Amino acid sequence: MSSKNVVDDLVAKLKRRQLVGSSAVAQETLKLMIVVISKAPLSTVNQLIDLVKSVGQKLVAANPTEPAVGNIVRRVLHVIREEYRDAENNTNKQGELTAPPSLTTSSSMYNLLGDPTSQQAVYGRYSHALRNNIIQEVKDIRIELETIYDNIKNQASLHIHSNEIIMTIGKSKTVEEFLKMAASKRKFQVLVAETAPSYQGQEMALELSKAGIETTVIPDSAVFAVMSRVNKVILGTHAVLANGGLVAITGTHMMAAAAKHHSTPVVVCTGLYKLSPLYPYDDDSFTVNINPDAVLGFEEGDLIEKVTVANPYYDYVSPDFVNLFITNQGGHPPSYLYRLIVENYHPDDHSL
Amino acid sequence: MVTDFDVVAHYKNLLITSPDISMPVAAIEALVELIKNSNATTMSEFMVSIKEASQLLKTSVRNSISLSAGCDLFLRFIGRSSQDAADFESWKSSLIARGEGFVEKAAACRHKIAELGVPFIRDGSVILIHAHSRVVSLLLQKAAADHKRFKVFVTESSHSQGGIRSAHVLRAAGIPTTIILDAAVGYVMDKVDMVLVGAEGVVENGGLINQIGSYQMAIVAKAANKPFYAVAESYKFVRLFPLNQYDLPTYSADTLSFQELNLDYDMPEDGEMGTIKTDRVTSPSATPVDTRTLSSQKAQGSNPLVDYTPPDYITLLFTDLGVLTPSGVSDELIKLYL
Repeated sequence: MSSKNVVDDLVAKLKRRQLVGSSAVAQETLKLMIVVISKAPLSTVNQLIDLVKSVGQKLVAANPTEPAVGNIVRRVLHVIREEYRDAENNTNKQGELTAPPSLTTSSSMYNLLGDPTSQQAVYGRYSHALRNNIIQEVKDIRIELETIYDNIKNQASLHIHSNEIIMTIGKSKTVEEFLKMAASKRKFQVLVAETAPSYQGQEMALELSKAGIETTVIPDSAVFAVMSRVNKVILGTHAVLANGGLVAITGTHMMAAAAKHHSTPVVVCTGLYKLSPLYPYDDDSFTVNINPDAVLGFEEGDLIEKVTVANPYYDYVSPDFVNLFITNQGGHPPSYLYRLIVENYHPDDHSL
Repeated sequence: MVTDFDVVAHYKNLLITSPDISMPVAAIEALVELIKNSNATTMSEFMVSIKEASQLLKTSVRNSISLSAGCDLFLRFIGRSSQDAADFESWKSSLIARGEGFVEKAAACRHKIAELGVPFIRDGSVILIHAHSRVVSLLLQKAAADHKRFKVFVTESSHSQGGIRSAHVLRAAGIPTTIILDAAVGYVMDKVDMVLVGAEGVVENGGLINQIGSYQMAIVAKAANKPFYAVAESYKFVRLFPLNQYDLPTYSADTLSFQELNLDYDMPEDGEMGTIKTDRVTSPSATPVDTRTLSSQKAQGSNPLVDYTPPDYITLLFTDLGVLTPSGVSDELIKLYL
């Protein structure tokens, strides 16, 4: 299959929402990126960047509510830029010692007074060796994606202590693995909000109890009432925004607000691929309204004509509600996320 | 040998002749001019003369925060590049070239910030701004040019009257603008969607030094849960770590000291306020400005011109290095001074 067909295939899957969930989406995007890069003609690196960007734009447009797509594309672009820079530095070294490499890759205040000629980086020479290096690095990202759960759950025993009461909401694979890992060493109790109307919390509770964790399902309306007894709130998320805000399943904001009221720590478990360099320009921009059938079914025919039923799927949770992010690179406070963004994405790629 | 070039006069002249240029840029331009006129023959003599000139500049104005940001950035650059200078004359001419390049880039900075900030302005929003800031005005003008519909409240900002200048600029761009009293910030906050302020300086912990009144605005915004955004060019980042309001270099012992009773401070007599108000009420948006209370320069002299807003009150900073959280500022400063 040519790379165009592969792209169209993934675009269609994203559009039809056949492929949902940030983890699955991220992995598929990365696979596609490897195909695109290995089939791209060997011209200049600039052209490669443009090609990857244009594919990225198509994918993001296919489902704008999955920020993980854009994040993976940006990661790949970052890899291309870094590999090119390394390759250039190496060839320069073989010739003679030219100017020392700049202190940082991103722009800094110092650039304001810097050499006016070296302002725009030119991405030229694209060789076989460079392509191999890039593909190798992209494959490393794939390995990183595969080991995310392990890296996160290994930190579990640092955060969950014996006889604690933990509260969570929704069904998150990351949180599930995290709690199961902790359960292998400690005994603790978990309260799961049922997460109406999708009732993902019930599924989560079932999984946890199968693993032998003492689990209680509570209605969403009881979150505040029992919060005073909870030691820690552990949340999963759909995306993390550049300011540390979350896009997570509905009900998360309510739970986080209740936790703040009781000064209960809120911990968010997330892989770094969910970290987006975008800001919540608009609180509504990440919300999706889904089929309201679960809220008010068609059997309530009389009523349905008289009311508007909304079923928003995601909440935006502002960063003041989060105390700690546990990522595959360790624990970070929300104020540190900007640093992770600088390390993982190039500023020119923030808007694809 | 020190030249007879008057760096302070040149700096002040620059500010008058080109009103669009901000203080740190003017400071660097003045220093570049000094280098051009310098007849120093050795590196150390040159360094001494530059340092003296920047000291002179800093002491020449009452409010030196943003000026010293520019001076320090340029001095830092001179210090760094002096290490790999091969020949004195060519190094000097490269410094001049870089300095002149900076002045051009400084203008581009503002445009970049405006571009970054525009997506934060939503259709139909109401924005509260403070006094006059060129970069805030540019951001709003750009948003208006992008066909965003929004309204602006601007504080009159007594003493500098910057709000009135802002209102002129914004109305010319077709943005509905209302001037409010400085004391009305709390009153309008409920109607406001976001607060935007410029900056004289951004300090190491991500806090903000800006025209007096910004701090109370930030407190009110925080209490009302409204986002408070600061807009600043990165050459305004300064190496200061103020712990409170009285920790700023602009503070002096007579700032807000208690006045002696027999000073010629004229209290407005009863009824006077009323007559002023009725004169001015003709234009619906114009604030009744009581110029008479400003008359006593002595009473004004002891009032602070800037205040410090701690980082906890700032939601985000829009800079030419990107949109930063307050903690991102120290990172940038470390990069420069490491």
